[in-house]
Amino acid sequence: MVSVRRSTGAFVAVAIGVALVAATMLLLASGRPQTPERLARAAVVVAGPEAGSPADPFPPDRPWSASRTAELVARLAALPGVAAAVPDRTFYAQPLVDGRPPQLHGQRQDAHEGHGWSSARLGGLTLAAGAPPRRPGEVVVDTALGLRPGAPVTLLTAAGGQPYTVTGLLDAPGVHVADEVATALAPGVRAIGLMLSPDADPERVAAAAREVLGGDGRVVTGDGRGVLEPRGDARTRWIGMQVLTATAALAGFVTVFVVAATFAYTVAQRRRELALLRAVGATPRQLRRLLYRHALLVGAGAALAGLLAGAALAPLLGRLLVDVGFEPSTFRVRYTLWPIAVALATGPVVALLAVWTAARRAARVRPLEALREAAVEQRPLGPLRATVGGLLVAAGVAFGFATALAGDPQQGADRALPMVMALVTGAAVLAPVFVGPVTALLTPTVRRRGGAISLLLRAGARTAARRSGATAAPVLLTVAFAVLVSGMIRTSTPVYATNRINAVNAEWVLLPDRAPGLSDQAVEAVSGAAVLPTTVFVDGDTAAEPVRPLTALGIDPATFSAANRMLTVVAGSLSDLHGEGTTVVKASLAGTTTLPDRPYPVVFADGERVPLRVVAVVSDDSFPGDLLLPRAAVRGHDPSALTDAVYLSSPIAPPAGARVVDVATWAAEVDRAEDRLVWLATLLLIGVTAGYGGIAVVNTLLMAAAGRARDLRLLRLAGATRRQVVRLVAVESALVVAVGAALGGVVALVGLLSIRAGLAEQVGAPVDLVVPWSVVGGVVGLCLLLALASSGLPAWRLLRRRSTVHVE
Amino acid sequence: MTTQTVTLVGLRAVYGSGNRRVTALDGVTTSFAEGTFTAVMGPSGSGKSTLLHCAAGLDRPVEGSVTVDGISLDRLSEDDLTRLRRDRIGFVFQSFNLISSLTAAQNVELPLRLAGRRPPTRDVAAALAAVGLTDRAGHRPAELSGGEQQRVAVARALITRPAVLFADEPTGALDSATSHQVLRLLRGLVDDHGQTVVMVTHDPAAAAYADRILLLADGRLADELTGDLTASSVAARIAATTAEPAW
Ligand SMILES: Nc1ncnc2c1ncn2[C@@H]1O[C@H](COP(=O)(O)OP(=O)(O)OP(=O)(O)O)[C@@H](O)[C@H]1O
Ligand SMILES: [Mg+2]
Repeated sequence: MVSVRRSTGAFVAVAIGVALVAATMLLLASGRPQTPERLARAAVVVAGPEAGSPADPFPPDRPWSASRTAELVARLAALPGVAAAVPDRTFYAQPLVDGRPPQLHGQRQDAHEGHGWSSARLGGLTLAAGAPPRRPGEVVVDTALGLRPGAPVTLLTAAGGQPYTVTGLLDAPGVHVADEVATALAPGVRAIGLMLSPDADPERVAAAAREVLGGDGRVVTGDGRGVLEPRGDARTRWIGMQVLTATAALAGFVTVFVVAATFAYTVAQRRRELALLRAVGATPRQLRRLLYRHALLVGAGAALAGLLAGAALAPLLGRLLVDVGFEPSTFRVRYTLWPIAVALATGPVVALLAVWTAARRAARVRPLEALREAAVEQRPLGPLRATVGGLLVAAGVAFGFATALAGDPQQGADRALPMVMALVTGAAVLAPVFVGPVTALLTPTVRRRGGAISLLLRAGARTAARRSGATAAPVLLTVAFAVLVSGMIRTSTPVYATNRINAVNAEWVLLPDRAPGLSDQAVEAVSGAAVLPTTVFVDGDTAAEPVRPLTALGIDPATFSAANRMLTVVAGSLSDLHGEGTTVVKASLAGTTTLPDRPYPVVFADGERVPLRVVAVVSDDSFPGDLLLPRAAVRGHDPSALTDAVYLSSPIAPPAGARVVDVATWAAEVDRAEDRLVWLATLLLIGVTAGYGGIAVVNTLLMAAAGRARDLRLLRLAGATRRQVVRLVAVESALVVAVGAALGGVVALVGLLSIRAGLAEQVGAPVDLVVPWSVVGGVVGLCLLLALASSGLPAWRLLRRRSTVHVE
Repeated sequence: MTTQTVTLVGLRAVYGSGNRRVTALDGVTTSFAEGTFTAVMGPSGSGKSTLLHCAAGLDRPVEGSVTVDGISLDRLSEDDLTRLRRDRIGFVFQSFNLISSLTAAQNVELPLRLAGRRPPTRDVAAALAAVGLTDRAGHRPAELSGGEQQRVAVARALITRPAVLFADEPTGALDSATSHQVLRLLRGLVDDHGQTVVMVTHDPAAAAYADRILLLADGRLADELTGDLTASSVAARIAATTAEPAW
């Protein structure tokens, strides 16, 4: 009866869902922080106190000052079992090749990091050629650069280009300089690596080190040293995790949806058989159990198949994620037990969830229904489904209003997401109600000669609302989701750029070229408003967040206020920002709109604690970041800080490692990397949804084709040519896709309009609604193609056989 | 005194509501004795099928009571009713009797499996042999003729050794030769095994196989025929009954 053979659709849907869940779970479990290779030989690492805040989840650790570092190194080196305690100093340094930073390792953060030579032993690095750097002006570079020992090289540091001589080569990214140079460029230390004597127990040493530290930092060993991974990698991993989690969640959600539709359809189609079973003695409970058992079987089988596919898929997907930038280059897929267990459990659980309503409906089939001939469908919508759909749509509309009224973009996005989910699922749940009327509306467009086809079409749409609904719903889901999400991203992206342009009072911007930032040399070569960001640390308010990182911008008050249109001084005066120990803070940070009289103590990148005097309080939207400092103060405490950008009033010839672009280009570029990731993630999610939508369409249409074999043959007997019948079927399914796409489009439009209203409110100007037609066209085209193929082909094949009406 | 396998008292059945309300059974009282073959006849829409459904526990009357094999169906829950139907009542429909994905043998053993019993192969084979289909055990319904399908349905209805077998126009879709095969089969069950059989039919020739004929009209018992029944005597009697003015 409900044989496994007939559940190919459900099986495939569950298997694909499990494959996706398995792959993403494996990748999620693999995405553990990696111990940097540079510290691999240090069995125990002592790190500075961890900093963190919601606004900046990946700040550097708070550094120790030079004197504190010296004290710690001395005491740690004296511990039993410690052969050496070596501070790890990391700073910005980038060799120029042919007067320009090399493209090599373009995206790797560690390609433009410099270190002191003594720390090379922490990674067990040995020279591939030449000699170590002993004096200032000597450097060991990556063999991959193609330089020879003895060759001159320009090293770009935060100060600017400096002439160096290559003394040796290492097979590792970054450069190594003499320790005294490293100490000058990175006075604050964030990690001290302990080299142990061969017989020492790392855990015992770690315990002793903790005593020495007394809470002023952390001691990590083994895999725990992963916390020392580059901040960029941590950030990338975090993004990857978001994308993977979203994919897994969406895959699970859509799988339940698609499989539920498949099961519901199976039950609707096999109603007479179910009734017959009831008549010959099956209790409602038995029917329910039958379906549950069946679902369990399908789920378990599909889970196995899906797991194998997912496990095979994971490494490919992993490589892809690294390539597009969702995972750091150190990412490797590891096969662990729990993702496999989760994936295996997903199959049956999803299948059981999906079969739940179908089973309830099956149990309500009455034995006498076996006697009724025609498969006249029931009401298109049960009361439960109508209620659920109504509630979802209502919630979606409510969130839509909330989105339109949102105060800031973040809030808008937070409200837009549930709106999308609620509207899309609500519309899909209610789809059968609309399919009949909308089909009736659209049918005249395909009416032709004699109209036999349109007559049949209309009759079909009326009597088979559930079947049409089952096909239209996934199309609706896919189209609505694709249009809504892609439209939301495409509509809001230019708004942020516009915001940025509006905030800046300059025509041109000096930007780094193949470098993470601009050196002082480059900044001094031009005249304009330069911003030198650094991270400073304050004591947090809570025990969970003991060290709070803040972004401080080193500026010159005159040029900064000239270039910044958003700056609003609430109290004090910006021009008082000069000399050591002064700062300007945002109102939310000050907690008041008047000048606080108490000093504001912060710890700088060099580990020094300085009480700052607040000379002005500005409004929160004045600038990105938390506080302003005199540029000289930032440079004094953070010798390796890099300037983000210099705002210029006229274009100039750019110095080395820099380029000049106009403001519009700059605004579009600032978030380009992030926008690209967001867009890729969006496409990935749309891909998952569209893939599932496709499966669902194929599923229901194939099942429908099987169920209508008799009707179609009768039609042939009644005088229709094979071509006519196939055309009828094709037009019918195209209509259903059109109905689904139209409904999905309406849902998406409602959502997009509320998002646009919200954005326009926030920027105070009209916002253009951008609909990425290529995405929409692709998704609708895919659905149409699949629908035509999966309805037309079976009909064609069916009618080729010479058999006449086949009575059951 | 003979035992009454099925007793119906004051059955009333109503379909629909408001002005679409139809009284399908309007106070029917009768009973079917053990080991007898009863035919139920009457014009189309007279309530024959409804009577059978109520007696078989497939439907519930709005009024009146049904007793099968000494058990009153009136207060049974849906599950208990299903179990009773499974164990003591066999039912053969006019058409669409078999699950198309199961073979003849699997269709026959279905009620036992639903009852949670492992069907003895011998019993299934015997049931198929009794309806003359030993060599068709592995065939699916699509590979069987209409008469063969009907005989499989009879075999399935009998596999649980029910107290009573109901058949609603079992020969309605069959030609006369095949009809007589099925009817002889039913007659044989009554004669050789003391099976109680109740059959709805429009065909006087089919009704002639029965020991007793109930005539229904407008949901009421209009007449009852017993004795030596032949196709022509039955036809004559029905013509006479239906020619009378409405009750
Ligand atoms: N499901 C139903 N809904 C509404 N009315 C029904 C239903 N089933 C039967 N009826 C009506 O009840 C009355 C009795 O129907 P029933 O099927 O018992 O007649 P019948 O004697 O079996 O007729 P036939 O010989 O045509 O099979 C008829 O008027 C019929 O229209
Ligand atoms: Mg009838």
